[in-house]
Order: sequence, then C-alpha cells, then structure tokens
Amino acid sequence: MFQEKNPVQFSGASKYVLDDELAQIVNISMALEMPLLLKGEPGTGKTMLAHAIAENLKMPLLILNVKSSMKLLEALYQYDTLTRLNDSRFGDSKRDISNIEAYIKMGKIGQAFTANTKTVLLIDEIDKADTDFQDDMLDVLDQMQFDIIEIDKTIQAKHRPVIIITSNAKKDLSDPFLGRCNFHHIAFPDPDMMRRILDVHFPDQSSEVLNACIETFYRMRDIRGVEKKPATRELINWIRALKADPDFKPKSLTKGIPYLGVLFKKSGDMSIVSQSLNRMRF
Amino acid sequence: MFVQFFYTLRERGIPITPTSFLRLHKALRLGLITSIEDFYTAARSILIKSERYFDLYDQIFAHHFKGVDLKDPETVELREVARALLEEWLKHPAQIAAALGVDEKQLKKMTPEELLQYFMDRLKDQTGEHHGGNKWIGTGGTSPVGHSGYHPGGMRVGGVSRSKSAIKVAMERRYRDYSLDGPITEAQMGEALKRLRRMVPHGPKDVVNVDKTIYETMRNAGEVEIVFDRRLADRLKIILMIDNGGWSMDPYIDIVQTLFNYARSQFKDLKIYYFHNSIYTHVWADPSRRYKPEPVDEFIRKDPETRLIIVGDASMAPSELMHRNGAIYFDQREVVPSIDRLKFLAAVFRHAVWLNPQAEEEWHYTWTIGVIEQIFPMFELSLDGLEKAVKQLMARH
Repeated sequence: MFQEKNPVQFSGASKYVLDDELAQIVNISMALEMPLLLKGEPGTGKTMLAHAIAENLKMPLLILNVKSSMKLLEALYQYDTLTRLNDSRFGDSKRDISNIEAYIKMGKIGQAFTANTKTVLLIDEIDKADTDFQDDMLDVLDQMQFDIIEIDKTIQAKHRPVIIITSNAKKDLSDPFLGRCNFHHIAFPDPDMMRRILDVHFPDQSSEVLNACIETFYRMRDIRGVEKKPATRELINWIRALKADPDFKPKSLTKGIPYLGVLFKKSGDMSIVSQSLNRMRF
Repeated sequence: MFVQFFYTLRERGIPITPTSFLRLHKALRLGLITSIEDFYTAARSILIKSERYFDLYDQIFAHHFKGVDLKDPETVELREVARALLEEWLKHPAQIAAALGVDEKQLKKMTPEELLQYFMDRLKDQTGEHHGGNKWIGTGGTSPVGHSGYHPGGMRVGGVSRSKSAIKVAMERRYRDYSLDGPITEAQMGEALKRLRRMVPHGPKDVVNVDKTIYETMRNAGEVEIVFDRRLADRLKIILMIDNGGWSMDPYIDIVQTLFNYARSQFKDLKIYYFHNSIYTHVWADPSRRYKPEPVDEFIRKDPETRLIIVGDASMAPSELMHRNGAIYFDQREVVPSIDRLKFLAAVFRHAVWLNPQAEEEWHYTWTIGVIEQIFPMFELSLDGLEKAVKQLMARH
C-alpha cells in the first residue's frame, strides 16, 4: 500500500552513510507530510542528510540559513522598498514603479512553494531565531500558503516540499513547534559507524591507517575540559591532511599527533590537548 | 494496547499531545509500520519531541512490550544500592556467603571491588532468569531497600550487533546521558543559560533603519534622508556568588565548575564572588577567600537590574544563619545575623535566585534550606531547575 501511494523512498546517497533507523524516520515523515526536526551535536551530519535526500530523490535543494535577527517575512518574500524608492527618485530603470509586484522577491520558503517541481527545503539551525519566528513559520508550513500583504495576493504551494529542519540545541524549541514536527536526535557516531563513514570518504585507504586514526580520534575526544570537541568533519579533514603528508606512518600516531590544529580550533583547547597528550606519553 | 502505552508515557511525565498520538495512528493506517522495530522508531519520532525523554521512552517501551520492570523514579542507582547492601552484609560474612553461594573463605579473599562486581554479575543472571520478577537475590527480607523492582538495562545489557530487536535496543538505554536526570553537560547548561540576555541599543549609530529612512524621505518630499540606529547588544549584568568552602560542597565541585566555565565564556559583565556556607559582612573575589574582600553593604551601589545567582547547598548549623555571631570564623565580627544579610541582598536585587546542587527531594531534611527558600527562590542545579531559574530571572516584576 505504501509502495503504491508513495513510490519515492529514501535509501541513502553516495557520500552519506545512513543508519536504518534514520531512513525509516525520513520515510515516515515524507509519507505523513510532516517536517522532520533533527537535533544533535555539530558534525553529526544533520545538514548533510538534507543534501543526501535531495541527491537521492533527485529533487532540487533549497537552503534557508536561519540567522538570529531573521524575520519570517525574509524567508517568505521581500518587498524591495529601497530599489523602488531609488527608482522613483531617479527613474532610470525599466521596472514599472506603480506595479508593486515587480519589487517582490521570493525568499527561500516562497521559492519552494512556487517551484514547479517538488523540492527539498532545508531550514538550517532554526534554534538561532526567536520563538515567534519558529511558531509563525510552522503556521505557514502547515497551511502551505502565505499572503503577500502589499499586493493582496495569496501564494499557495504548488508542491508540498520535503522539509528538514535542523537544530544545534542552542535553545529549546517551543511546544507548539515541536508538536508539528517529527523529531529525531542524531547521536555522535560510534567507532563502527565512523569506520563505515570513513570507508565511503576514503575508499582506497588501508584499514590499518583508518583504524589507527579512529582510535586516536576517539581517545582525543575523551580528553576532559575541551570546549569544542572535534567532529566528523574535523576527522575527515585530518585524515586528508595525514594522507597529504608523505612521511606519515600509522605507527607514529602513538608517539605524537601531527596537525592538531585541524582537529582543535580553539587555542585553549590546543593547550589542554597537548598537555594531556604529553602526560599520556609520560 | 496502544492507548495504554500512550497513557503510560503521559503518566511518566513525557509531554505527548493527543494530536501526535492520532498522527501515529495515521502512520499505522497508511501501512508504514509493519513490525515492532518500525513501531519503536516511528512512535519515537512522532511522539517524543526531545532527546531528554528518549531514555524514559526506551524504558516504557521495554516495559510495555516486554514486561521488563519499570525502574521506580525514586530508586537510587543500582550500583549504589548494591554497594549499600554489601556494606550491610559485610558485617555478616556467613550470611552473604550463603546468599551468593560461595565459600566463606573464598569470599574473604576478594577485594570489595571484586566482590561488588561478582555481586552485580549475579544480579544480572538473576534477572535473566526471572523476567519481570521483583525478587532480590536471596536476601530473604534483609534488604534495606524494599522497592518493587529495578531494571538492569541501566548497565547496558544489550549486545552491540547491528541487528537487534526493538526491545533490546530500548533496553540498552542509549539515550541515558540525554535524559533529564542524567549528568549535566556544558552544552546543556549553555542551552539553559542562553535565555539570560537583555538586548539594548549600544555603541555608535551604524545601522540603517530602513523603515524610518523611507518615512523621513517621504516627509522630505522624496529627498533621500538616511536614518541610523545603534546596534542591539546584550548588556545583562550578572553576579555569581558561590559557596566554595567546606566539605559539604565537595561532592558538587564538578557541576559547579561546569557552571563556572560556561558562565565565564558566556557573559561579558560577570562578577564572581565566593563565600563559605552563608553570607556575612564580606564576600571575596578570590577563590581562597583571603585577598579581595568586598563588603556586602557596598552592593547597594550596584545596578538593581543585575541578576544575582547564588550557588550553594544552603546547609549549615541553624546558628550560623540566625545568630548574630554565627560565622564559623571567629575573626568575622558581626553586627547582624547572616539571614539579614541575605534579606538585604534579596531586597537590593529584584532578580535573584539560589541554585542548590542538592537534589530537591533532600531539601526538607535541612532546616536552613527551608529558611533560605523563603528569601530566595530556590532551584535545583539540574537542567530542569536551571531552566526554571532562568525563567525566574527574566520575569518582569
């Protein structure tokens, strides 16, 4: 029944390792036509999931990067008053100043609604915005329509986009907001999962090197007092750096760790890590 | 069956709306869910909206669909219970030997740690055999903790293979660290404290106010008139007073340290003071409470909009709080009892809270906590309590 109703099913993408649980959740959210809210530490692949869905289902991806000062209107549409003022003042453009519609620009949500195909809409880091923004936005996404007040026109979604919302857990989201989403928390991958992720990214690397790197990586994540723990992204970049180094041998990881700067981005963290590494070596 | 599941979740304090429950039924009707594994994932993503409840959900799921005993919220950690039991038992070696089925001599050779481990292993075996049973291992009524049962999943009994049944997954309790009563981390603390901010215009006028610009331009008959505004900046002042003296605060040093680290990096205008047990004539700006005393009376000059956060266990001898010469250091000569100092601070700063690292259900054992609670709104130093405290601090009086 499900197969007939919704033949598109998500099953992973070329550069994204998906666990079964998450695939199931994505498929259910698509079938129920509900936004999926993803929470988790930075670097657990929340944003990458939307990219992977878009790639897998061959839909265009629209990304709305939420900023703390953002108003909902910016995400829907913008009435470009400054250009209109400029045009009316100097009168040297081809636009018709009396036609307000010429000065309406669609925001990301507006673009997703007016697109001619089904799209994947990624609303990234929703927690940065204030609560009003979040609640109002979900009203719009629930009803799949919004009004442009200036020209008294209602924009109706042509296709219901697949909506992925990510949150870094900086702030709690309001209850009505949560009520309208499906929710999943992506935990930091365990070493086995990390191995599968690395295999996708470095298919030609020997397993000895990768295992040594993973082991060192998780050991360094365990160091106490580090403010910004390295995440998957840092690990991948770090292995890239090691690969580029012709002198590197996996055995040398037990002696000293090169390119710490790729893994730890804060100077305070760097000193904590190098201190505790010294202690480990005695 | 599902309705009961729904109500169990609600009773256990997970906020679930009927709407989301209906939505789960819609998913069932659509034929999206074909197995209990699917149901586990689907129900979690539709019903549960925060990773803090994932752990509780896992427990309830395992309980409901398998009949594993639900851990009583009041119960102490299994290991702690075991340790307490052992200490009790060690006074009677013959009894414990009989209960565990080991020779008494062999028992004496074991270190307490080994013994505990052995004991825990036995406990695990026991539950493996009687699922859902609520019998303590051969205690025969000597157990000082007569509760209904416990759930060994807290120690991760599940395997690590990838193809597990949903109940096993649930019993693994992977989300324990995220639950409300789990250990508090810096990030979580950040999440709670983030709401402590007050935006006011500050600095040079360097932001164009578009609306005003257009309005002024129109008033100017179309001649462009640009209006600038100041930026909004966070100007919230915070005073943190921490009880860093005495062994009574020792168990909480880690958690207070976390609060510290976070507060330091988060707030620009933050002052930290230290005191011991309660506040007398002075508080100190240095942790050793020696070099930089600051008279409490001087605080009246500070901005009354400052948020005052006091962290301490509020536990002391009644005289330390109520008596005029209550201070435990004899060089501190007092004029008024400490309680009046606290009242004074509460009067100066309208937005003040007391964070107590002790668990809330233990508060009523200590008389002084009750008294201080009358002066400052007191909250537990946990995620939940911190959120309530922040709400209190930001409320308008």
